[in-house]
Amino acid sequence: MAHMMCLLMCLLPASSDAAAAPDRLPYVYTGWRHFTVENGLPNDHIFAVKADGPKVWVGTENGLARIDKAAAKVEKVWLEKDGLPWRVVTALEVCPKTGDLWIGLFGGGLARLSGGRFDHWHQLNSGLVNDVVYGVAIENNHVWAATTAGASRYNTVTGEWTTYTEKNSPMEEIWNYGVAYDGKEKVYLAVWGSGCLEFDTRKENWKVYLDPDGEMEIDLYRDDGIIHVIVTGVSPVEDVLWLSTYFGTCRYDGRHWRGFYAHETGLPSDFTNNVKARSVNECYFATDKGLGVVAHFPHESVVTYTRDPNTLRGKAQIFQAGKLLTTVDMETGTPHNFTIALDVDGNDIWVGTGKGLGWGIGNGYYPGIRENPAWLARKEQ
Amino acid sequence: MNEIQNSKQLRRSSASVSAIESSCFGFVSNFVLRISNFLPVVLFSLAGPVLGAYEAVRRQPVYVGVRACAACHDGAGMGYQCSLWQQSKHARAYAVLARPEAKAIAELSGIPQEPQSSPMCLGCHATGAHAEDWEKDETFRVEDGIQCEHCHGPGSEYMTESVMRDRERAMAAGLIMPAARDCMICHEVKGSHVALHDRTEFDVLDGLKKIAHPTPAKSRLPQPRRLPQGESQSDLAAHVGVFACAECHKGPDKGYQFSKWRMSAHQRAFAVLTTEKAYQIAKEQGIQEPPSRSESCLRCHATAHHDPAGGQEDTYSIYEGVGCEACHGPGSRHAEQARRANPQTAGLKEVTKQTCLGCHENAHGKPFDYEQSLARIAHPTKIAQTAEKPRYKTPLNLALSPDGSELYVACEASHTVIVVDLAHRQKVAEIAVGGHPTDVAFTPDGRRAYVSNRLDDTVSIVDVAARKQIGTIPVGDEPHGVLTDRAGKVLYVLNTSSDSISVIDLATHQEIKRLAASRGPWSLSLSPDGSQVYVTNTLSRFVPFRSPSVSEVTILDTRRNVIEDRRSIPGANLLQGVAWHPSGEFALITLNRTKNLVPMTRLLQGWTITNGLGILWKDGRVDQVLLDSPGMAFPDPTDVAVTPDGRWALVTSSGLNCLGVVDVQKMIAMLEAASAHNREHVFPNHLGKSTEFVVRHIPLEHSPRGLLITPDGKTAFIANALDDSLTVIDPDRWEPVARIDLGGPKEITTVRLGERIFHSADNTFQRQFSCHTCHPDGHIDGLTYDIEPDGIGFNPVDNRTLRGILDTAPFKWEGTNPSLQRQCGPRLAVFFTRIQPFTPEQLTALDTYICTIPRPPNRYRPLGAPLTDAQRRGKAMFERTLTNDGRVIPRENRCITCHCPPLYTDRQRHDVGTKLQYDHESRFDVPHLNNIYDSTPYLHNGIAPTLEEIWTVYNPEDRHGVTNDMTKDQLNDLIEYLKTL
Repeated sequence: MAHMMCLLMCLLPASSDAAAAPDRLPYVYTGWRHFTVENGLPNDHIFAVKADGPKVWVGTENGLARIDKAAAKVEKVWLEKDGLPWRVVTALEVCPKTGDLWIGLFGGGLARLSGGRFDHWHQLNSGLVNDVVYGVAIENNHVWAATTAGASRYNTVTGEWTTYTEKNSPMEEIWNYGVAYDGKEKVYLAVWGSGCLEFDTRKENWKVYLDPDGEMEIDLYRDDGIIHVIVTGVSPVEDVLWLSTYFGTCRYDGRHWRGFYAHETGLPSDFTNNVKARSVNECYFATDKGLGVVAHFPHESVVTYTRDPNTLRGKAQIFQAGKLLTTVDMETGTPHNFTIALDVDGNDIWVGTGKGLGWGIGNGYYPGIRENPAWLARKEQ
Repeated sequence: MNEIQNSKQLRRSSASVSAIESSCFGFVSNFVLRISNFLPVVLFSLAGPVLGAYEAVRRQPVYVGVRACAACHDGAGMGYQCSLWQQSKHARAYAVLARPEAKAIAELSGIPQEPQSSPMCLGCHATGAHAEDWEKDETFRVEDGIQCEHCHGPGSEYMTESVMRDRERAMAAGLIMPAARDCMICHEVKGSHVALHDRTEFDVLDGLKKIAHPTPAKSRLPQPRRLPQGESQSDLAAHVGVFACAECHKGPDKGYQFSKWRMSAHQRAFAVLTTEKAYQIAKEQGIQEPPSRSESCLRCHATAHHDPAGGQEDTYSIYEGVGCEACHGPGSRHAEQARRANPQTAGLKEVTKQTCLGCHENAHGKPFDYEQSLARIAHPTKIAQTAEKPRYKTPLNLALSPDGSELYVACEASHTVIVVDLAHRQKVAEIAVGGHPTDVAFTPDGRRAYVSNRLDDTVSIVDVAARKQIGTIPVGDEPHGVLTDRAGKVLYVLNTSSDSISVIDLATHQEIKRLAASRGPWSLSLSPDGSQVYVTNTLSRFVPFRSPSVSEVTILDTRRNVIEDRRSIPGANLLQGVAWHPSGEFALITLNRTKNLVPMTRLLQGWTITNGLGILWKDGRVDQVLLDSPGMAFPDPTDVAVTPDGRWALVTSSGLNCLGVVDVQKMIAMLEAASAHNREHVFPNHLGKSTEFVVRHIPLEHSPRGLLITPDGKTAFIANALDDSLTVIDPDRWEPVARIDLGGPKEITTVRLGERIFHSADNTFQRQFSCHTCHPDGHIDGLTYDIEPDGIGFNPVDNRTLRGILDTAPFKWEGTNPSLQRQCGPRLAVFFTRIQPFTPEQLTALDTYICTIPRPPNRYRPLGAPLTDAQRRGKAMFERTLTNDGRVIPRENRCITCHCPPLYTDRQRHDVGTKLQYDHESRFDVPHLNNIYDSTPYLHNGIAPTLEEIWTVYNPEDRHGVTNDMTKDQLNDLIEYLKTL
């Protein structure tokens, strides 16, 4: 037995974080508010959410909405009759320079809401490659659109459109699910069947991240590359890439890949619709079975948020290296387990689901892990 | 090297880049470019059964130059075709652009460049003017003017004898056998050329006879020609040929020496040896061989045979006849020294009378007057200076220095800012800035002034103390209004042609962001609390087809420098002046209300184009009132200012040359007393209401534009654009108290007279509008008009720009007006102005002015810049002859057939399938494409707001070019190229 203990001690990681006691826990969102059609949203199918200072933009299956955080109310809704060029809003991004909202429309192209006016670009009136837009990113003076037939890059100063498809990029498939800008010089495309493509905006060349295991849905060799080529989202932060696929999620620090499977980590599902990183160590994954969080990467801390469809009570499960440490029962949680849209908003998070929008209120939020965190005390009360 | 070796080398140099079979490793950059444009075709070919076959690979042909053609197409057996060309006007087409008349034509056409550098002029005066450098072989010379390939197409792919012997194969490889109609692309009557040459029509059949160059039925290729061998003495220089000389001795700084030679008889000296007369003279002198082969004849008819030399370099060709080196001696050493930037005359002969007499004395019995002949071929390096034309000032807008001591006046025509001392009310300085300065603003500390330069797309930074431009800031297209924020930290610049607002950090003079305006942002005004800037936009937003205008005032939040709101102004367009009321409760804007959806015959009822003010309330409400009254229109309201006490608003009418004085209290009281219905639906169109609040009309000088009231409210200044003056108004008396002369010329030229007529409403019924109203500053108002009295909604037509239109006749979309005289003559009176037509003198002046409205530099391709990759791919699409799947596109359905350079119109009417239910015509005039990006909307009825929609929506049957097979990226590339034209 003593030998066994010694062996276990040797197997423990050297990191002090990783060696933390089980009661050193990550932050858990225990306070949630919901926005649905009942309190003003135009539709409960939430496809996009974007925090913008005191406001939050919400893209739904039938309209665009804006929430005033201070009042915790849906303050304005735009339907097609109000000038929204297309009913299904699948992507939202705010230009940090101009404050304009860029809107990806599922079948309707790309729109800009600026000073209350919608401008509309689609494949018939502009160089946009396709009208089914899944993702939008702002890179300097360019707007990127991830579409079902390639990616478009629009220069808002010159008006020039550049199309990226299999003809001029390493895009083996052209179905683009997501696009993100790292704020410095790289733009990343998440492509169904073509992994993640990295575009260097200075050199205007490409680098491709594919699954070395090919299109197999099992990981032959662990952490040898992207976990699967069907990539649904990418979120760069401080030189670290977080990626979501339909067969798991992964992280790349520029040298090492690390894959996350649900059955090994406690994440709710491998079928991951979207990803949003808060830091190099913390990332949120929208899955078909709940919200998963790699809450502290060095410690392998994972938090999984689900909601019981019968009782409608929420549950947060905290795992460390795949081991369940504790479960938090909550009055409520995310509005629905099918999650698809995410945004990090200071200490708060926003989660778009198949049945409304969830606002995770980050009172007392802290990064990493802590002993006896305040949320635990609240829970125990 | 002998001549045939020369020609072989020419052919080799072309073939080396064109023929794959010559070397698998011969891929040079030229070839890569050529083949990459046809990559889809290449890939298609590779997939087929003829994998690797040379014939299957279609290459982009390149221009090889006339000397490559001449290798076969000269000599008696080929009908001396090259020599016939050498004697034609076509061979001198480039050279004649050096004549003063060419400069005059360019000026008349609003072309700012040297004619020999202008793509527009070169399009019909040179070959391959619109080809990139890589599309021209090193043997090609633009100085050859109109040579074989201009009409027969670039020759690299059909030039070999084996291909040329098979006409069908040659045509498949790019050989064009032009029809008479093709000649008319260049020879169609051009207004600019008529004005200078008085030639009204071109007889194409007669022209074809003059340039006839038939190939004899029993043709045979010329025998190899041997040029004189180099002398054994090694100290003799070699002949380099005129084109080597032309590398330096060409442009205006060298007195166009090459062109002067090219226009002389010397350049035809060899070619004339092929004429019947030459044969006759030779026969008389007992010469049996053809004169062009006779050493006796060649001694005086070809440079290389003239004097002993050290041979000929590759650049020499016998076709130059008597070139520079015939008189100045072989030039290889001189050229080499020149290349080393040491252009001494070493190695050149001194030219004396004897030099000429050597050939001309008693030549063929012709008398020779040395002095006269010398004068005829004189080619000094310095060209005679012509008298400078009057340069007007054209003051547009003005700003008061923060200390109140000086006015800065932006003067468009003189490219200056004029400084006026307020104490003495006189001009004290003139500061050179960029092209077409339009507006000016001071920093709050008064140390700097910023001037928008509409022609240059820059803002000038002026050091006020030094009265000097110290730098420029690049901004968007055609900057107009400029203004700083209250703290002087940022500058807002309105980019009128790119529909945007540049925000400039004044600490670094860098543009930090570009905000989206509406269409044609024009003027701006800071709110009294400094928190907002209101921006007027001249053009309406795009609205559904045949819907009333909706224009916009864009509201900028100065705290965050973002667009905060956009106020819609229904039914209005041409929003220009803007001023806040000192209370901060509302702002005033000037506007037009153009009834473009009903026939213009309504002019007689006084409501075709009405003019007024918009009142933009702080709470978002917008009211509109008219400044017109029955029988007293207020055309072209341009600027507005409010007195510091808020009681009066002053509005300039540039069409009426007057200042309107509005009693603001009465106007507001009238609005406040009215019902919402009246405010929204009655007042905006009510011609009777203005009498309640417009209290005075003060006459001003020609075309008043910018307006300013001093902070003490005691003086108003108005810039009279076409009088080069400021009018000073005393608000106590409401009358002009002084005229400040800005120093423009007193002479009124025809162009200036025409400009005044263009901007004056004197020639419309009850002075309701001017030419400028629908063509602000010669451009567009972006509207589609129902002009003819044929019922409401019939034949709506898009309003077209007047920029650079001189040579694009016929006019009107139906192409029924063959000249501007016709367009602006009685027809205008019948359909538009409803008053006595212009007098002949007025009409001449007006047309002359319209012709000189320049086309601004292309924003997508600066002059001489290479195409971008996307533009280059787009050019290949524009010129393509095959669809993506390899089908031949009929010639009449290719882009370049109807939109042929240099104007990119064949000036004919074609049916491209755009006729709508209420159009009577189906064939429309082909519009020119120059700067097409800045004249939205498109098609005859303005139904397409973007270039893309022309093909994605309105070309379902491929009648407007074959475009439906294009991939999205190909269409994008095509559009990127179209923007460069």
